[in-house]
Amino acid sequence: MMKILTTAMMTSTSEVMETMFYLPVEFGEDPVTLIQSGMEKLKPHMACQLKFSGDVSGCVTLVIPNDLLGEVTENFMGEPLENFEEEHLSGTLTEMLNIICGNALSKVDSKIPFELDIPKVIDESNIPKTQSFTIIETPQSLMAINISMN
Amino acid sequence: MSYSILIVDDSLPMRSVIKRTFKTAGYGGSDFHEAANGKIALDLMKNGWIDIVITDYNMPVMNGMELIRAIKKEDLLKDIPVVVISTEGNEARIKEFMDCGASGYITKPFTPETIRDLITNILGEESYDEDLDDSDDDFDF
Repeated sequence: MMKILTTAMMTSTSEVMETMFYLPVEFGEDPVTLIQSGMEKLKPHMACQLKFSGDVSGCVTLVIPNDLLGEVTENFMGEPLENFEEEHLSGTLTEMLNIICGNALSKVDSKIPFELDIPKVIDESNIPKTQSFTIIETPQSLMAINISMN
Repeated sequence: MSYSILIVDDSLPMRSVIKRTFKTAGYGGSDFHEAANGKIALDLMKNGWIDIVITDYNMPVMNGMELIRAIKKEDLLKDIPVVVISTEGNEARIKEFMDCGASGYITKPFTPETIRDLITNILGEESYDEDLDDSDDDFDF
């Protein structure tokens, strides 16, 4: 099930990032920790988490450097970064994860329809240092996504 | 022709994006109203004219499904079409919305073309204006 979810999440990430955020993405080959990924150099980051339930339950975590989040927000809302406040950036991050997860879970067969919780911005320091992420490569930067099942 | 469009979503960026997509889809002359949840939307609808409601599903306080049910209980509001825009593309969930009285369903991610096709289908052909056409021609409706 984890392999199906991961594949669906990668397909949806590509689709959503290109359709709604106008950003082509590619994926790193093997899951790595944030330190191994080289994302430490791109700090500060923002992180967001979304819980889901259905035939299986779990949680998806997305970590993105602030610079990239600014670019994504500009693309999403069609306005320059100076027009935005913190709420626009965090709202774009939570919406991005919400759309990716909803799209991905709709590709996965489930007897019980998946339910998504409301996505929440989290403190990155709460993410275990050993947690492995799939790295999402954009033309200028990196972000990271992790799926964990209960 | 323009419409009074109520966009219901707890995400401020998403409300902006939906509004921008409607403008791109040819509804730039419309009046846009916004609400962060179903309860606020219902209050707005009781106090002003709305032609169509575009709502998210997953919201705090009152979600999209609860909003549709509340609208259908109100004699003065029950005929206002409600379109759900949600990340949840599960067929059972879509059927649940349609059975509840939704006029249409759009899954995210969406394009201006998807919006235009659905709204034209619900509100009629005359709703579409070419306001993003680069020409300076006047339009006749």
